[in-house]
Amino acid sequence: MSADVELSNVSVTFGSFFAAKNVSVKIEGGEFFSFLGPSGCGKTTLLRAISGFQDPSEGNVLIDNKDMSGIGPNKRPTALIFQNLALFPLMTVSENIAFSLEVRGVSKTDRQKRADELLELIALEGQGEKKVHQLSGGQKQRVAIARALAVEPKVLLLDEPLSALDLKLRQRMRTELREIQKRVNITFIYITHDQGEALTMSDRIAVMNEGELEQVGPCDEVYNNPRTPFVATFVGENNPIYGRIKSIDGKTVEIDTPDGIFRSTINDNTNLNINDDAIAFVRPESLFLPRSDDNFDNSLPVIIDSFEFEGNIKNFYAHLKSGTKIKFSVPNAIDTSHIKNGSSINLGFDSQKSIILPKAPLAID
Amino acid sequence: MTSSHVMKFMMGLYLFIFFTYLFGPLIIMSFTAFNSAEFPAITPWECFTFRWFNEGKIAYDGQHLAGLFTDWRLHDGLISSLIIGGGVVLLAVPIGMAAAIVLTQVKSQLRDIYYSISIMPVLFPGVIIGISTVVLWDRLAGLGGEGFISEIGRNGIFLTILAQTCFISTYCFLIFVARLQRFDQTQEEAALDLGASQTQVFFKILIPYLAPAIASAAVIAFLASFENYNTTVFSILSDQTLTTVIASKVRLGISPALSALALSIIALTIIAAVTYEILRRREEKKYALSQEKYVTEKAAISRIDKDYKVGFKIPKGIVAIILLVILCSYGGTQILKNDLYGQSCIDAADKEKKSKFLDQLQVLEQNELSDEELGGGNLGGNLDYGDIFGDPNLFQDFAF
Repeated sequence: MSADVELSNVSVTFGSFFAAKNVSVKIEGGEFFSFLGPSGCGKTTLLRAISGFQDPSEGNVLIDNKDMSGIGPNKRPTALIFQNLALFPLMTVSENIAFSLEVRGVSKTDRQKRADELLELIALEGQGEKKVHQLSGGQKQRVAIARALAVEPKVLLLDEPLSALDLKLRQRMRTELREIQKRVNITFIYITHDQGEALTMSDRIAVMNEGELEQVGPCDEVYNNPRTPFVATFVGENNPIYGRIKSIDGKTVEIDTPDGIFRSTINDNTNLNINDDAIAFVRPESLFLPRSDDNFDNSLPVIIDSFEFEGNIKNFYAHLKSGTKIKFSVPNAIDTSHIKNGSSINLGFDSQKSIILPKAPLAID
Repeated sequence: MTSSHVMKFMMGLYLFIFFTYLFGPLIIMSFTAFNSAEFPAITPWECFTFRWFNEGKIAYDGQHLAGLFTDWRLHDGLISSLIIGGGVVLLAVPIGMAAAIVLTQVKSQLRDIYYSISIMPVLFPGVIIGISTVVLWDRLAGLGGEGFISEIGRNGIFLTILAQTCFISTYCFLIFVARLQRFDQTQEEAALDLGASQTQVFFKILIPYLAPAIASAAVIAFLASFENYNTTVFSILSDQTLTTVIASKVRLGISPALSALALSIIALTIIAAVTYEILRRREEKKYALSQEKYVTEKAAISRIDKDYKVGFKIPKGIVAIILLVILCSYGGTQILKNDLYGQSCIDAADKEKKSKFLDQLQVLEQNELSDEELGGGNLGGNLDYGDIFGDPNLFQDFAF
């Protein structure tokens, strides 16, 4: 059983500070939905508003089309997984998992049965008698999930639950979370500042900045067609090139920059006119070292500053004549022995792989 | 010899002096409990005896000196002390806990003010708390006429429980505050989120977390109540607690029965502490072992595989125990050899004291005579006093 969650014009204020500002979004039942944003952007506040720990100053939270105002966290069909997990250290693993049943007066044998079922779901069979501190980080994580699932909530809320784990474990838990979500088929609302987590797990993501929603959409759409310079630079990496609009021809736009004129693409609902200040964005993986038979729309002359080896790819840091910093990456399979620090080369990119947006603050500013 | 040796020696010397300072009086006093002399003393040592622990004695001058087990005033005092201690624990622990929990809920500048007010009772002199409690309840008892209020308002045990709770609940408050500071508030939220009511959160999450603090607050509250004098002496009214009984005894002249009492309390304390420590270590060992076993199991690497068979180990304290046994047996044989134990010794000592006492009486009588001979002389102040009390007409003007 899953439920829709709808936020309609939700604002949360602390004094004069807007933790969340006029947020409206509808999350479908059974969806894996992520709120993505830098720390302090108000995503945890939104989660607390959904779970009932924070009353919205304005607007409503609807779960299954039912207004939740005035309903306490213990009466909502949601379960929250805390950032620090908040497992009960004085109880055993089974007692932790069955806690929500215990407070509902379920008999001991039924509780034990349900706890064993859930232990099987999270692949911790036979470890129910252990104390919480005897578990490893990943096991604790799974126990927290099992505890939240024990009463079959309609919505599971996750507040950066993977942030304390090391990289390998985090990657494994991403897959596991996704699998658990498919198995139990309930709405997952996930909060993270890690765009990798959000992109790999979610059906849709919402990018937040300073309490406001910047963009909501499927992962690939947010990545490929960012609506604002903030989204363009927060989700994945991007090279901004500042300039002015020179010409607009359908979806193709020419931008005049100190380093030359580049052809780029404009989104359907972006409103730009000739001579407006704008930024062209090119991702590091969309910049290529051209071979003789390649034919790119744009040629970008750069001077190499430094390079780092990441394993599967090599990252090059360079600058344009005007001083603009450029990062580009090359698959490890391509030979780059001729590129030395200080050497000048031309990079190529397609207008299709670049996007142009009105000038606005970036995420990295 | 190197500088580190000197350092070690000085450190040892310092520790010796420090512990002598701490425990010396207690040790000396413990010995006086076994001396048959009427006054707690080590020298002169009369006879080795246990009578201060049970029947006491009738002194050579006819004064009855009760032993620990026959002193009904001590027993009554002890019983009321225990009742009061229990009452204080029942009141002070919940009050302290409630106050500490409220502190976690107060978030603004009010917090500092609230904290200051909460710890204020500790800063009041106990005497004032005692007196003010008595004054208040005397008024209340007066208002109610004859009835329940006037009954309990003049009940020393009830008033003492109230008066002591005033400041002892603050000790409990501080213990709970310290524990609550480390409480992870998200646990409460997690429990709420899982469907628990506020009451369930309190009983299933907060109380288990606070259990160690409840235990230590109860012990501290009981001990603080048991040893309290300055508040109790006012609020106890006509009743007596152990401390007020001892204090009144000290005023009338102490007997070795008090040393016997002190030694019993010390012995009880040591036994309790040692038992606790043994149990604690056993649990700790068990836990460490299970933890180690768990790690080994998990790692499943022979590298850290350990043999769990533990051979018999000689405890380090064995030297001290052997020394103590040797000392005790040597002391015991010396006592028996020199006829320092038993009725014959006591009889001999009493006889000697009695004769000395008679001698002294004679001397006093002689002195009295010589004083009278000197009467009317110029010997100063003493004479004036003598005159006052000797003058039968002194108070004749004070007609009643």
